[in-house]
Amino acid sequence: MERQQVIDGLVDILKTIRTISPEKLAGITEETDFVTDLNTPSTEMINIAAKAEQKFGVEFDDDDIDGLGSKVKDFIDLIIKAKERE
Amino acid sequence: MPNAERKVAVVGMGGAFPCCSDLADFNDKLFSGKSLIREWGQALAHGKNIRSTVSGFITEAEMGLEAIYSEIAEGYPETYIDTLRRIPDGNLATADLGSIWAMLGALDAIKMAGWSESETQSEQTGVIVGSGGAGHVILRPAWHNFFELHRKSRVAGSHTVDRAMVYRDAANVSCLIKNKGVCESIGSACATGLGNIGYAYRLIKFGIQDRVIAGGVEGTSLETFIGFDAMQVLSRGFSPNESSRPFDVSRNGFVCSFGCGIVALEEYEQAKARGANILGVIDNYFNNSDGDGNMFFPSFAGQKRLWRGLMGDSTLKPDVVKVHGTSTPVGDSVELLSVVDVLGEEGYHISAPKSQFGHMLGAAGAVEFIAALLMLKQQKVLPCLNSVTLNPELENFQRSDSWTGPQKPLQAYRNLIPQQAFAKEINSIVCLNYGFGGTNSAISVSNDRS
Repeated sequence: MERQQVIDGLVDILKTIRTISPEKLAGITEETDFVTDLNTPSTEMINIAAKAEQKFGVEFDDDDIDGLGSKVKDFIDLIIKAKERE
Repeated sequence: MPNAERKVAVVGMGGAFPCCSDLADFNDKLFSGKSLIREWGQALAHGKNIRSTVSGFITEAEMGLEAIYSEIAEGYPETYIDTLRRIPDGNLATADLGSIWAMLGALDAIKMAGWSESETQSEQTGVIVGSGGAGHVILRPAWHNFFELHRKSRVAGSHTVDRAMVYRDAANVSCLIKNKGVCESIGSACATGLGNIGYAYRLIKFGIQDRVIAGGVEGTSLETFIGFDAMQVLSRGFSPNESSRPFDVSRNGFVCSFGCGIVALEEYEQAKARGANILGVIDNYFNNSDGDGNMFFPSFAGQKRLWRGLMGDSTLKPDVVKVHGTSTPVGDSVELLSVVDVLGEEGYHISAPKSQFGHMLGAAGAVEFIAALLMLKQQKVLPCLNSVTLNPELENFQRSDSWTGPQKPLQAYRNLIPQQAFAKEINSIVCLNYGFGGTNSAISVSNDRS
């Protein structure tokens, strides 16, 4: 799976998180930080992870989620890692 | 301890009311004698599995709200959209339906009170709001996904705690208005609404807070409804507008309803000094327990002690007694006889607003307190709809040797219970509410006499 495909899929998920301003989703890159750039409430990170599992057909390890960084690239790495494990 | 120098004024109110667009609509419908009770499609959909099908319910659309259902957790309302843009999305994310109603009611109450931002966000401003039930609408699908569908706990997202915790209504209101004082919920079953207002009154009377947003909420929930339906305590067999019939001889249960009542309370002198419109002045609040070990059966002795605690040595009669008056067979008769035993057979009137909108459970005491404030404002007594025929015979418990109350049947007190709204001079009203567990609450509220 290409990394850009993952970003596109993540943006689709983020559009459903109403606490994230839709205007902030236009220029998302791998370096975008969920907390500092998108002002994502910390409680929403697990919602994003759960939706990513569904969208990409993967299952994350709890240890991986516990150690997850706050940048988009951290999510991409997590998704690709889970995909490769299957 | 109470501070004799401090009085407590009501300066604002708001909420969510069945079949009503806003407080003004609620006022108009109450005083024109309308019933706010309807057949409930959600109950009817369960056919023979449900006994009662009438309710004073409020739909999401009627409150300008829309549920967004999760794409990954079956049946789970992930969040709500406020189509009228009154509540920010961040606050909606942490709220169940009832908490949203509480936030909307708080905004209306604060606007009516005229509190500034600094007053609202002060350390001297508290929030005391509670519900009778849990966040059932949130918990049921969340638990179903975990326990029955064997999904991961995170599938329902990270807001099942804040949207379902016991004091979710108070917490959501506090996070919205950003007050820095006390934030708590009082729970006392069907006395919850009045209990929260009473506790808020004490916070101001005791000098702990200067302002409090207070009230009770019961969000529309079939999960709540079926618990009472199973107990066979809900009204059935009547048309919707005739289903709630306090004191009528043919009453057979209460109408399970939903709603929200929020009031803004303020230390009287501060409210007067800034020119606030005083909706009422709280004379006293008192609450107690039956002490007879019975979870459900009302206590004549407990209610008489309630009156003694509220009125002390005063011999003044309120102009109106806003009763709990649920339309249950025993509850209404014990309540009427205890009122008559304390106040006598004349010189006041009894109002039973549940006859118009049913029993809002944890919201009942707060919404009915608002109904009392509207009676003070309109100088009209709200009716007891459908109290057509009062029992001409003695109640069974009146025949027992241990009965110490009035010896006349309920029919003897027909003159106290109007079936239509009518005008009279109203200077003070006593509001009564009771709850499972033998808890009793009473508040006295008067016109501003200054």
